[in-house]
Amino acid sequence: MRTMRLLPRTRERWLLKRIPPGPNVRLDQRRIFIMPSAVGMAFMVALLLMLVAAINYQNSLAYALTFLLGSVFVVTILHTWRNLAGLVLQAGGADAVFLGEQARLRIRLESRGRLYQAVALGWPAGELQRVDVPAGGTCEVEISLPSERRGWLRPGRLRIESRFPLGLLVAWSWVDLQLAALVYPRPVEGDLPHAVGMDDEDEGSRAQGQGVDDYQGLRNWQPGDSRRRLHWKAFSRGQGLLVKEFSALVGQEPLLDLDSLDGDLEARLSRLCHWVVELSARQQPFALRLSELTIGPDAGADHRSRCLRELALFGQQEQG
Amino acid sequence: MSSIQPIPRNGLVWLLVAQVLVILPHLGHLPLWIIGLWLGCATWRIRIFRMQARYPRGWMKALMMIGAGFGVYFSRGSLIGLEAGVVLLIAAFILKLVEMRSRRDALVLVFLGFFIVVTSYLFNDSLLAGLYSLLPVTALLAAMIGLQQSAGGTHPWPTLRLAGSLLLQAVPLMLLLFVLFPRFGPLWSLPQPKERAVSGLADSMSPGDIAELSRSAALAFRASFEGPIPERDRLYWRAVTFERFDGRRWSQSFAAQVPQAPQWTPRGTPLRYSIVMQPSGRPWLYALDVGEVAADDVRLMSDFHLQRRHPVDKPLLYQATSWPDALREPKPLPATLERSLQLPGEGNPRARSWAAQLRREHQDPEAVVQALLRHFNRQPYGYTLRPPPVGSEIVDDFLFETLNGFCIHYAGAMTFVLRAAGIPARVVAGYQGGEFNPAGNYLSVRQLDAHAWVEYWIAERGWVSVDPTFQVAPERIEMGLEEALVDEQGLLQESPMTLRRYRDIGWLNELRFGWENLNYGWQRWVLDYQGERQLRTLERMFGNIDARQLGLLLVACAAALIALLALLLLKPWKFERDPQLRLYRRFERLLARRGVIRQDGEGARDFAERAALQLPSMAEAIGEFALLYERARYAGEAVDRNRMQNVLARLGRRLPWRSRVRGTL
Repeated sequence: MRTMRLLPRTRERWLLKRIPPGPNVRLDQRRIFIMPSAVGMAFMVALLLMLVAAINYQNSLAYALTFLLGSVFVVTILHTWRNLAGLVLQAGGADAVFLGEQARLRIRLESRGRLYQAVALGWPAGELQRVDVPAGGTCEVEISLPSERRGWLRPGRLRIESRFPLGLLVAWSWVDLQLAALVYPRPVEGDLPHAVGMDDEDEGSRAQGQGVDDYQGLRNWQPGDSRRRLHWKAFSRGQGLLVKEFSALVGQEPLLDLDSLDGDLEARLSRLCHWVVELSARQQPFALRLSELTIGPDAGADHRSRCLRELALFGQQEQG
Repeated sequence: MSSIQPIPRNGLVWLLVAQVLVILPHLGHLPLWIIGLWLGCATWRIRIFRMQARYPRGWMKALMMIGAGFGVYFSRGSLIGLEAGVVLLIAAFILKLVEMRSRRDALVLVFLGFFIVVTSYLFNDSLLAGLYSLLPVTALLAAMIGLQQSAGGTHPWPTLRLAGSLLLQAVPLMLLLFVLFPRFGPLWSLPQPKERAVSGLADSMSPGDIAELSRSAALAFRASFEGPIPERDRLYWRAVTFERFDGRRWSQSFAAQVPQAPQWTPRGTPLRYSIVMQPSGRPWLYALDVGEVAADDVRLMSDFHLQRRHPVDKPLLYQATSWPDALREPKPLPATLERSLQLPGEGNPRARSWAAQLRREHQDPEAVVQALLRHFNRQPYGYTLRPPPVGSEIVDDFLFETLNGFCIHYAGAMTFVLRAAGIPARVVAGYQGGEFNPAGNYLSVRQLDAHAWVEYWIAERGWVSVDPTFQVAPERIEMGLEEALVDEQGLLQESPMTLRRYRDIGWLNELRFGWENLNYGWQRWVLDYQGERQLRTLERMFGNIDARQLGLLLVACAAALIALLALLLLKPWKFERDPQLRLYRRFERLLARRGVIRQDGEGARDFAERAALQLPSMAEAIGEFALLYERARYAGEAVDRNRMQNVLARLGRRLPWRSRVRGTL
């Protein structure tokens, strides 16, 4: 991750060219980098000591062993590299989570040839997860990531590395599988926003600011309309019988309205989120209104996930 | 990856196996309690792995370490020096087993193991020891692999197989490094392994000593001649000259320790040969007379023996040139002659009076010598390694009473008589003959070939060598000790298992020669492949070559080897066997550089259409390629590959390498 901070843009551009993003990436020679690991450095120091011993004791066998281990080190470069080469990574999708939960992203590793042992992958922020990919088979990895913001969680380039067989070298690659997980706002308990449709309140109280925004407009009175919604002022001005119309008045279902709440946007979204979850759990139909957008009223899993999705993405241009 | 990584089962198994294999060759010089310590620690470790026991606490570890330190001190008498150092290293190696928790600890253990394998070479560097050490090295590598493997119940054998194949693949590069890597002299001096009891000639000698040696079939040295090997009766290898006689023992004089080159003139044809000498613990080198060795630290001493600055305490290879017909000291220093006439003040009166009588009978000193030899020949003298006991007058008793003895008796008695007769003489100790190995065309000289003979001085002729034993037992000289003493049991009694005992069995004897030959090759080409020898070998292989060229050669050969191995390992031709598909991949890559990436499941035609829309400037080339590809791939038409490649080249030209990548998708 340190290198990532260093000249991040240049690096990102270079990587983009070298390893273009895509949901299906095969690791080939251009995409694998390899360096000695810390253990490898220690091994070299040990070899140096052995060489000094060989020189000082003029011992040919000590020379031979030093050279043998040095050659093993060189041969291991090929083996370590080979332990990533040809591996295919596929994005496996991710379930949506609430903010604060661990997002779990799935990645499928596919071997089109040999067995790949001890391949570790993950995002630098978290711990790398080690798996073996059977020869000619696949293996699915689920990597957990903490969700820090609502909206799309895009962890960016995935690090895949391998130190197999000897741990002396580390071969790695940065792969962008365009993985993303949707993070809903954190549900926070609180009072149900005063949904207009729930009770018949008098106009006076509404005039004090509550539910003003719900006001859609006026239309001509039709038989059956509640007399309480008559626009008396207009009537007194001689404009005829008009009825105030409110969008949420389609039935008795609660309307979860963002604008009916005060305070910080995130806090308001969290409150709505809680109620979406709560009402869905009660299987109670409801409607959600986020400034211009109104969903419902409806009930069911689809409705719930649509509402949550809109809550998650509210105010963010990014679209999946 | 900061958290502690546990040690997988496979790693632990191989670590335990490696530990046994690493410690095994050291058992000969380890105190017994080390084995107990290992058993205890291994059991503890396994119990930890099974979660039946805990890791030792801090104070426990400290206690164990102090205990091991004391143990080493009490069993080795010190904590410094190579022997104690190795025991300490092994104790640490064992204790670390219990203490290791993480993968990193285990790696420390593995590295320690490699070091201990290196130290084992200091004690034993024979061919068998070298081959054996491949076992612990393989096991240590397997342990390293095991540590990297997933913790799941993988079988231990594939791990070992992988370790073995890694080693095998490393061998060519190792050989290359071994041959070409420059050898330096020691950077600083380190404690050497203590001298093991080496049998061999000593700097003073009584008859019993040689009898002792003749029971040992241990190798003294091997000699390879450049030309034909001289006859057996000319193979007198001088080691040391005895000039002092105290009535019982013959010993070197102090004057011989003074480095003062004797005066001599080379004559005749020289013999050139190389010798690989086994450690003798003595500073002298073996050579035929008069020997020259071109080495800085070797001198020809005043008594014609070759002396090295340091004792030979590990196998030594040297090149020697000998002038068998050289004229040696026709005009010696008076002190030299005086030393060669020294006799104890009294004792052995019969020998002295016999000498006086011989002197009266013969004017010429040479005639005295011949008379003496005739005497040994004609009188009933016998050759035996078990001479009857003699009294305090050892020369008298041997010459006139027992009449039985072996080389040192004859050489000693003859020298005594010559000196008493006023002829300067001295005893030469060394080896005689040697066994010819037909498989390798060299001579093996063993301790049982130890021999003593006489040299006397005559004006104008200088020093002349003569062997009185030849008069008594010519077969000893012509065929060797064993043939001379077929009936004696004493021979080789210390080594009942030696193959030499069974040399009448043809195939076994051949096997023995083969094995000896192998060991000799090992000694010459592996153990002695140091400084001088490496230079000469490289010169023979590549002619004159300087360090820079050598470095280049090393790098070039290494690169070639690695490339070859890479080809074998990675099999790049397997990546994409299908040439059409390969072209198509190139096409995809070209477009991907422009940010147009084929989606999974997107057909060739769909992709081309999309790409043409996104990159209108190359729509034509894209379309053409897609058409060609489709016809070749799906309609089965024979499409010229060159044409496809041309289109791709055209596409490539249109796409500058540094083109910016557009974010699509």
